[in-house]
Amino acid sequence: MMDIVLQLLFTGIGIGAVYALVALGFVLIFRATNVVNFAQGEFSMVAAYLMVVFSVDLGWPYWLSFLLALGGMALLGVIFNLGVYYPLRHRTFLPVIIATIGASILMANSVLAIYGPQPQVLQGWFDTPGLQLGPVYLDSQYLLIIAVTIALVIFNYWFFERTMLGKKLQATSQDKEMASLLGISVSTMIMITFIYSAVLGGLAGILVAPVLFVSIQMGSTIALKAFAATIIGGFGDVAGAIIGGLALGVIETFGAAYISVPYKDGFAFLVLIFFLVFRPQGIFGERVAEKA
Amino acid sequence: MSAPSDNMPIASAAARPKPLLLRHLPYFVGAAILVALSASMQFDGYILNILLQATTFAIAVFGLSVVLGLCGQINLAQAAFFGFGAYAVGIGTTDLHLSYWLCLAGGCVIALAAGAFLGMSTLRLGGHYLAMVTISFQQIVTLVMINDIALTHGPDGVSNIGRPALFPTSQGYLGFCVAMLAIVGYLVWHLPDTRLGRAMRAVRDNELAAGVNGIDIFRTKVYAFALCAALGGLAGGLFAGGFAYVSPDQFSFAESIVFLTMSLLGGVASPIGSAIGTGLLILIPEWLRFLKSIPGLYLAIYGLFVILIIRFMPDGIWGFVSAGLARLRAKAKTPPAAATLQLKPATVGGDIVLEVTGLAKYFGGLKAVDGVDIQVKRGGVHALIGPNGSGKTTTLNVLSGLYKATSGRIVLDGTDITNMPPHLRTAAGLGRTFQNIRLFRSMTALENVEIGAERPGNTLIKQGGDAALTERAMEALTFVGLGSRANELISSFSYGHQRLIEIARALAANPTLLLLDEPAAGLNSTEKLELHELLKRIAAQGLTILIIDHDMTLVSEAAQHITVLNFGRRIADGESMAVLRHPDVVSAYLGTE
Amino acid sequence: MKLTRRDFTAGIVAGILAPHIISSARAQGATLKIGMCAPVTGPAAESGGYAVKGAKLALDAVNKAGGVMGKQLELIVEDDQTTNPGIVLAFSKLAANPDIVGFLGSIRSTQVHAMAPDVLKLGKPVMIGGTDPNLTHMGNQWLFRCRPNDSYSGRVIAEFGVNTLGKKKWAVLHSTDAFGTAGGKALTEALTKLGSAPTLDQGYANQSQDFTPVVLAIKQSGADILGSYFTFENDLGIFGRQLRQLGVNIPWVGSPSITNITALKLAGPALYGTYGVADYAEDSSDGSKAFGKIYRDAVKVAPDNQSSWTFDAINVLSGAIKTANSTDPGKIREAILATKKFPGAEGEYNFDQNGDGLHGYNVVKNDKGNIVFDKHIEFND
Repeated sequence: MMDIVLQLLFTGIGIGAVYALVALGFVLIFRATNVVNFAQGEFSMVAAYLMVVFSVDLGWPYWLSFLLALGGMALLGVIFNLGVYYPLRHRTFLPVIIATIGASILMANSVLAIYGPQPQVLQGWFDTPGLQLGPVYLDSQYLLIIAVTIALVIFNYWFFERTMLGKKLQATSQDKEMASLLGISVSTMIMITFIYSAVLGGLAGILVAPVLFVSIQMGSTIALKAFAATIIGGFGDVAGAIIGGLALGVIETFGAAYISVPYKDGFAFLVLIFFLVFRPQGIFGERVAEKA
Repeated sequence: MSAPSDNMPIASAAARPKPLLLRHLPYFVGAAILVALSASMQFDGYILNILLQATTFAIAVFGLSVVLGLCGQINLAQAAFFGFGAYAVGIGTTDLHLSYWLCLAGGCVIALAAGAFLGMSTLRLGGHYLAMVTISFQQIVTLVMINDIALTHGPDGVSNIGRPALFPTSQGYLGFCVAMLAIVGYLVWHLPDTRLGRAMRAVRDNELAAGVNGIDIFRTKVYAFALCAALGGLAGGLFAGGFAYVSPDQFSFAESIVFLTMSLLGGVASPIGSAIGTGLLILIPEWLRFLKSIPGLYLAIYGLFVILIIRFMPDGIWGFVSAGLARLRAKAKTPPAAATLQLKPATVGGDIVLEVTGLAKYFGGLKAVDGVDIQVKRGGVHALIGPNGSGKTTTLNVLSGLYKATSGRIVLDGTDITNMPPHLRTAAGLGRTFQNIRLFRSMTALENVEIGAERPGNTLIKQGGDAALTERAMEALTFVGLGSRANELISSFSYGHQRLIEIARALAANPTLLLLDEPAAGLNSTEKLELHELLKRIAAQGLTILIIDHDMTLVSEAAQHITVLNFGRRIADGESMAVLRHPDVVSAYLGTE
Repeated sequence: MKLTRRDFTAGIVAGILAPHIISSARAQGATLKIGMCAPVTGPAAESGGYAVKGAKLALDAVNKAGGVMGKQLELIVEDDQTTNPGIVLAFSKLAANPDIVGFLGSIRSTQVHAMAPDVLKLGKPVMIGGTDPNLTHMGNQWLFRCRPNDSYSGRVIAEFGVNTLGKKKWAVLHSTDAFGTAGGKALTEALTKLGSAPTLDQGYANQSQDFTPVVLAIKQSGADILGSYFTFENDLGIFGRQLRQLGVNIPWVGSPSITNITALKLAGPALYGTYGVADYAEDSSDGSKAFGKIYRDAVKVAPDNQSSWTFDAINVLSGAIKTANSTDPGKIREAILATKKFPGAEGEYNFDQNGDGLHGYNVVKNDKGNIVFDKHIEFND
């Protein structure tokens, strides 16, 4: 009994860490621009395909392909900002949401047109597929994902709280006008945010591809859940995204095991509705009051 | 201004408008022609299917134009409501052997109820959060459709769906669908001019102001959701009868996104826009079939197309076109002249119009208002002043219902309004203007004031028909001196004039007590003098005014009675001149030596 | 007016971009046209590509041998976008072309259901690959199936597992979509008839990212054999890997997706030693071997059931037209139903009165990544 619970817990945290990584990208863009980026999942997908092209098709070393793929994602972040967000930055949130949806369709189908519909295999970082720890099997790629997520949480904390650039980014996200009055270049901050989010999304994609395989749809299946995770955690908050993602992964896995497998995807949304009705600011978020 | 006279008839009023149906006759004639054409022209199966899909989808998108375009609330679950209607017809005609008409009506009712239920979540949420609730609702509905095999046949779907005996042929059925489209289109076209439609537009433009002007925000949003869902259900029922087969994968989140995109591309607020968006997004993939040889290419182009339209045509295609047409059209027509504004505030209670006792508002540990008593005498101007942060605006917000009082009691003209929501306070006779002007930006000055006039309990609008509303609104606008510009959009007025329109809006409701929140803010000295004159004229009609302002000249000249707050407490109260010389008041403003 | 202008525009651009459309315009009237609805876009785009390849290979061979009734065959493909409304539109577009004498429909049963009313209305033969048994039992006389339906796959899995492998404690795992649910039901029924009702009947939603709860459920049930109906190869790959990671090594007999090239690539060693029922197995018959050779020569990879059924469909259809020596739909229909002992890539076709051409499945084994033919199980009832 206990070993089943432990195994489910590990898997739940593992898949939760994937949601958390993607959620992180959502939250960063939302904090800076007040926009939900429906194309965040496609960032993960594109990066995974880049890895396949570099490391499998061209046969280059894994670490080199990794760096090049992340570089490619940074470039994609720039293009995305200039093409999709920046021209619409003064509009209400709805046109921007639709534009990001259009961008996600564009990205997914461009990859389809260029690469074709067959799913691809990507090697994991480690050669050993996993280790058996007592009754629990620990998939090595999931271990890596969890480790990277922890490292990113620490990095994000250090970056946003301890560096000047991070503080400037925070200021921009909290009050654009004030930040610009203080001499911070808002457009540069936003550009940096998009680059960082795209790289984060790409990192998530490359990490998760060995487990979920590289396919055109891989991004969108995770993205919606990651979005739910950000709300559960508290939409403006980085720690919230992480906790929300992990919580969601665990709830889903246990729900599938003990309640119903086919309705597994429904749990995420039920939990989400619960939070939205009873605690819309999520676990960590703050209420935003409106000035009369 | 000419001398007022109660006996002056409404001079040169516009000729009495033709009855509604007659005016819209061209629409019905056009629709009838379209229906006849679609039922009789010989289409091949392909065109027929495209038209059937376009017609039924357009009805669903009309629903979105109501909730999103008119009321400003996002709904990403339209495919779920579409599915309710489709399955109602599907299961009803095949499993339950009910008549098609019964199933179609049943589908609309089920969808309407579900929409109202979803709309209730707007009590707490808006914006992105509302989007997520609707997405979650959609996902859960899809999962149930797939997994509850006993009810929905699961992923197999429902086939051999029946059609009404009246329209057995595809051609006839298409004619029927086009007729439904025309009827629904007519209703959605004229919804903005009805009372509910105005309320929706007000909620979209400025929720706070809508509430304070007597509109029940929550109920309006629920109605909007219910209507949107009902149209979605109707569309789904028609779709099922047309295509004879439905399965869960047709009612997923992706389809909701398709509906939303159709709505936005065409132009979210108008049915014409919805029709254009639907037509384009169904036809374009068909036109681009030749690009299908490279998988993904035409969808990639579609995605690019979406981005470009959103970027360069923000109001959608129809918005773009109609904005161009509007520039070509003649200037706004001059409104009719109006009689003098009558203000007959209620005189139920005695001397004291507003009795506030022990009012307190705490924000966590911060005591913004801490035990304040105010008594406003009937007639005349009463001012509430104090240095910044003294709690004046908070007090006003608690009085008008935007904040809930932590403790204390508020009695307006004999009615205890302490726990009432804003729109009920307005119904009880409270009117207010805002420090940062809250007008409904998409409407004309006249429409803004009409919404004010529409408040429940307004005894001065006779039977309450459209003509009476317009008359009252014109009177109010003329009273503030802007009658001649009634049909211009808000954006064409100066800041000072917008302030006057907001006051007119409050006056049109015939309030018992008018709360003015820093009305002089942002006005130059000439405008301030005009404001003072206006206040005198209002007070002359017996209306009581409670005013907050920093301009001491205005306050000392206009107000007979002043209450002073500092740090959330009342530090002085009494006749104006005496209070202004009170040492506590002086030191509160200027500090002590 | 709109119609003409649209056709004109499409024609101009198509003429510039797509050479095969030009050649067909030249040869208009001199060819016998067959219409095909295939998923060129959407989630099933990959299988759509294989399907079109298989059909084209058969078409070329028929044309090289002289065509049918003195004319060359021509294939017109329309994208069904892998959706139900999509295939309705694709089919009605093809149906509007009076020159088309027969059609190839979808391998996905919901799509066949969606287009069925229009097929009935048109009254021309449509060859399908969908395996929902209802498709040939719903009174539509124009649907002809070139794959064995799911009642047979379920019975074959049960028969093989119980009688050949000798295992009685079954776990049945299936996706919750139309295919998986129908297949799971068929398997459960067949097992119950053999006296081995399953100890675990588990559904899962497509595109699950994680199967740990499912694997644990299988472990807990104590089953000694697993029967499965997977729709998508990604899910198969993730499940297979997790199954082995958590130490479950019971025999596994799966629906045809377990033998697809993509599944083998994604799941790798996790599928070694598993069995699958495959309507197409290269070594099962001379017909299948011949097809295998033709396909490999042209496409350079091994074929699977995505392409074999369309290959057979073209051959059966063109053969029937030849036999009937007419393009009259009723005569073609009779000729198809009279087709007996026809050696196709999928096996020997013996059409019954319902329109089902095949009544059995091959059992194959995954021998370290190579699909090896084991035996054929046929039902004659």
